[in-house]
Amino acid sequence: MAKKVARKKTPRKKAATATASNGNGVSETDGKALRLHAEQQYAAELEALAEVDDRQRPPNWKLSPWAVKTYLLGGKLDNGFEVTPKYIGRERLMEIAIATLATDRALLLYGVPGTAKSWVSEHLSAAISGISTLLIQGTAGTDEATLRYGWNYARLLAEGPSEAALVRSPLMDAMSTGRIARVEELTRIPSEVQDTLITILSEKMLPIPELNTEVQAQRGFNVIATANNRDKGVNELSSALLRRFNTVILPVPDGMDEEVQIVERRADQLGRALELPAEKPALEEIRRIVTVFRELRNGVTEDGRTKLKSPSGTLSTAEAISVVSSGLAMAAFYGDGVLKASDLIASLVGAVVKDPVQDQIVWQEYLQTVVKDRDGWKDLYRASREVGA
Amino acid sequence: MSQRIFGIRHHGPGCARGLKAALLEWKPDVIVLEGPADAEEALPLAASEKMEPPVAMLLYPPGEPRRSVFYPFAIFSPEWQAIRWALAEEVPIRLMDLPQAIRIPLDRQAEEAIEKALLEAEAKEQAENEQEDREEAEVTESKQPESSENESTPEQPTRWRTDPLALLAEAAGYQDHELWWEEQIERRADATDLFDAILEAMQTVREHYPETTERDLLREAYMRTTIREVQKEGFERIAIICGAWHSPVLTEAALAGDPAECSSKEDKKRLKGLSKEKTVATWIPWTYDRLSYRSGYGAGINSPGWYAHVWEHPQKAPTRWLTQAARLLREQDLDASSASVIESLRLADSLAALRDLCSPGLRELNEAMLSVLCHGQESPLNLIREKLEVGDRLGVVSEETPQVPILEDLEKLQKSLRFKPTTAIRQHDFDLRKPTDLARSHLLHRLTVLEIPWGHPLHSEKKTSTFHELWQVQWQPEFAVDFIEASVWGNTIEEAATTKLIDLAKKSTKLTELTEAFDHCLLADLKQAIDPLLKTIQKQAAISSDVRHLMESLLPLARVTRYGNVRGTQADDLLPVLEGMFERACVGLLPACSNLSEEAAEEMLKSMEKVQQTLELLHREDWQADWEKQLQKLLTSDLHGLLKGWACRKLLEQGAIDEEALQVHTRLALSPANDPQKATAWATGLLRGSGLVLLHLNALWQVFDRWLSELPEETFIELAPLIRRAFSDFTPAERRQMGDKVKNLDQLAPTKKESTKQGDSELPLQLDRARRTLPNLAQFLGVPYDPAS
Repeated sequence: MAKKVARKKTPRKKAATATASNGNGVSETDGKALRLHAEQQYAAELEALAEVDDRQRPPNWKLSPWAVKTYLLGGKLDNGFEVTPKYIGRERLMEIAIATLATDRALLLYGVPGTAKSWVSEHLSAAISGISTLLIQGTAGTDEATLRYGWNYARLLAEGPSEAALVRSPLMDAMSTGRIARVEELTRIPSEVQDTLITILSEKMLPIPELNTEVQAQRGFNVIATANNRDKGVNELSSALLRRFNTVILPVPDGMDEEVQIVERRADQLGRALELPAEKPALEEIRRIVTVFRELRNGVTEDGRTKLKSPSGTLSTAEAISVVSSGLAMAAFYGDGVLKASDLIASLVGAVVKDPVQDQIVWQEYLQTVVKDRDGWKDLYRASREVGA
Repeated sequence: MSQRIFGIRHHGPGCARGLKAALLEWKPDVIVLEGPADAEEALPLAASEKMEPPVAMLLYPPGEPRRSVFYPFAIFSPEWQAIRWALAEEVPIRLMDLPQAIRIPLDRQAEEAIEKALLEAEAKEQAENEQEDREEAEVTESKQPESSENESTPEQPTRWRTDPLALLAEAAGYQDHELWWEEQIERRADATDLFDAILEAMQTVREHYPETTERDLLREAYMRTTIREVQKEGFERIAIICGAWHSPVLTEAALAGDPAECSSKEDKKRLKGLSKEKTVATWIPWTYDRLSYRSGYGAGINSPGWYAHVWEHPQKAPTRWLTQAARLLREQDLDASSASVIESLRLADSLAALRDLCSPGLRELNEAMLSVLCHGQESPLNLIREKLEVGDRLGVVSEETPQVPILEDLEKLQKSLRFKPTTAIRQHDFDLRKPTDLARSHLLHRLTVLEIPWGHPLHSEKKTSTFHELWQVQWQPEFAVDFIEASVWGNTIEEAATTKLIDLAKKSTKLTELTEAFDHCLLADLKQAIDPLLKTIQKQAAISSDVRHLMESLLPLARVTRYGNVRGTQADDLLPVLEGMFERACVGLLPACSNLSEEAAEEMLKSMEKVQQTLELLHREDWQADWEKQLQKLLTSDLHGLLKGWACRKLLEQGAIDEEALQVHTRLALSPANDPQKATAWATGLLRGSGLVLLHLNALWQVFDRWLSELPEETFIELAPLIRRAFSDFTPAERRQMGDKVKNLDQLAPTKKESTKQGDSELPLQLDRARRTLPNLAQFLGVPYDPAS
């Protein structure tokens, strides 16, 4: 509990500066953080957008909906500033998402794992509220206190119920400051805890009966939840809760090129974050990984001729990204710095073979029927023989 | 005198609204409308209160209804609004487009030109082979019709020109040009200057992309000529309503001869010497579903339901739309609360704002519903698309509308037979011995020939008598259109069906198709078609080289001979034909059976079963004997196992071979020397049909058993599914009995058992060895052992 207090105490005060987020001060020293928040990493873009943005902004929004759209989908500003695309895919989906938030409706991003749900949610809140860290990580152990508020028991015992003894949740913070709260993995939260959200979303207020008071949501408050519908051990959303969300289903990337672009861009960024000395990932290798993932996921080869078995894992784009970035690391530290099949193969097999018995068969079949005979894929086949998978 | 041009988009609700407002305000004293001039006679019918759009104006040459043209109108069509306004205000309407009376001969000429070109191209090829000298002359000759083919547009000359519009849309920064038009024109609330703007836009486009299609130039020339005539009649205010594309060439300037190719002299030249034909114009009901097809105007629309909605509720269109959608979802037991509707509306509004639109359109509403009402699932949205966006509204035409003769004939028949059309599904059981029922059956069969599926024949399991006929009957409003399409064939149903079958007899070369048609022909009692069909069948049977076709054709013909009497048709002529076909089939059977693959053998078997059924139907002993002879031949030839097995079985059933012979054949077929695949196929063929007969053939089971147990394990595993499949057709009772039989197979084989017993006793008793055990035995038993005894 003590840890929780320490964590929860600081963010409200420093949230506005958008640099502190964890209370223990790790992210305050920029540049050393393993992964920067969206509002840190893209601070320059957000600033440039805010400068030229002269359109109507909903109350308490840092940017207008049009600017948020540009931030997400990328584009060139009037003053020549280039905004990088954050989401590569259907423009229409982002429009629905932004319009939803503009109407004070909560947004539910739904889809199979690895379809950039959390990524979109982070960038949306960074662009709209300037902060993406009012975050509740949904787990099977998430309790009501995480969603509403808890108590600093030492203080509670010493002083009795008071504001000071209250441990506020990110959701409560978001309500009182009129910003966006994020709930990750909503479907992992037990059903009875999920229900807490129902009244918050419809009444827009959070009563604190112990202090005989309440927190009223300020304008600009909203919730972005992400949930996936394919993992094991998820709790279905009740229809009452589902009704309070506008649902946007994020699909797996439509085309091969789109997916390659996503993987390349992200692997490139991750490589930088990890300070890998390897050169820019070879597009050819990435294309190959994406092909393997797509073919196994769809159960059919890209030319549509051969039917394949699909492994038990989801084989999301996110996993493809991690295969490439760990391949880069292999190439950098143990290889000659150039991404090769031998660098990729271990993590590739790891990503595909999740069930040691069944997936192994699937993978072997794929190797024999597809990889072995495909032009220019010999090295991949040989590499996989070497690692014995 | 003044005139105004209203360039519209066919079926555009925004245009319709703008046009109506303009008409009310300006009050023209004559309306000149883009529409075939020869349809003017049908216009007054539109004034009737009973006319409910969607309806379509139908124009056809009475001699050749195949060339009929539809001009559909919905409530939101600008033309419909103009017609209704003019008829109510008693303002004359003139139609100015090139009459179908002229277009139809042109179409025909164009088609003939194409045919001619093809013929000449063929001739050219021949000429090339024969004589190289004349080649050049031929080329120049055949080029001419080809070029006229390029100029004359195909069947639907009035296609909406997407390309120039796309250019405008692209200039405005839209990818979807339909969307651009929708947002710029149709959803505009303030319609002042709308038509001037359209005119100007089109003028610009046409400056850069002049109309080049000869047919359209002709149409525009005719339009101008009509307007000039109207001008001469001394009207004060002339309203010209036409497709936006044509508007620039109908302006006052154009009428006065600027540009020069629009002058009256040029027009007269262009229109000179065109032949005319008689056409008939009438109205028929239409559906929203069909509005989305291409038709006379060529402007198919995707969402007629939405347009109608926008027309009927210009004020609160999105709200009402979402409410309707929610109610629809609720009817389907899908969760759709009013709260969700409110949220959908808010989302749609803010989506529209995000896209810089003044109000949400269909796209925004659909996306909002997807997100809020459907929780991101596409399937409920499809329901909305089908029921609301397209809609199932059916138009009504007033009673005084003249109908095509064939429809009148139908109504007369429906009355006299007391056989009213309803949209509900009904079942009828006709007793063909009663004249009324027989006539009804004829009617339904004739409609089937005309491909109007009012009734579907059902096959009754219980009543197998030939004088009962079961039909499932359901009327669909679209049949009205089918009837008009069918009226090409004739003016009464009987005539139409007959002509169609005779036409088939002339064209078809497929024997199966012909015999089926013949079957239909007799069922529908189309006496006049019998002869031509029969002749063609005879001819085709004589030249047909495909034995399977011959075999398949036998059954329908045989059926005809059998129920000929019930239906009062004479089918005696048929027997000689049938006989000839049967003989040819018999002769060709053996060669046709050789070298068949698995699938082909399966097909062949089906054909052979049909022949078998034919024979059972006809009870002709001489034919039966011929057939058996052929089957005997099959048995001894090297064919696919399936066919041999089946032949064996059939011969057994008919008593042509006895059990012993069967055993011989079975042993031969299932001997280990044979390829196991082939043996299995044989068994499959043998096991076709009833299992009861097989149960009593003990010998067969024994051979079968031995064959199975002698199979190597791998082969057995390979064949097990095939064998299993061969048994799967039997009824459970039969299978159980077979199982019992197999279980007790040992008892059925006394010879085998005896032999094993004999084998046991034959072993000689070894006394010396037995004697050695005696001392021990004695010790056990406690008796003294005496080796001597």
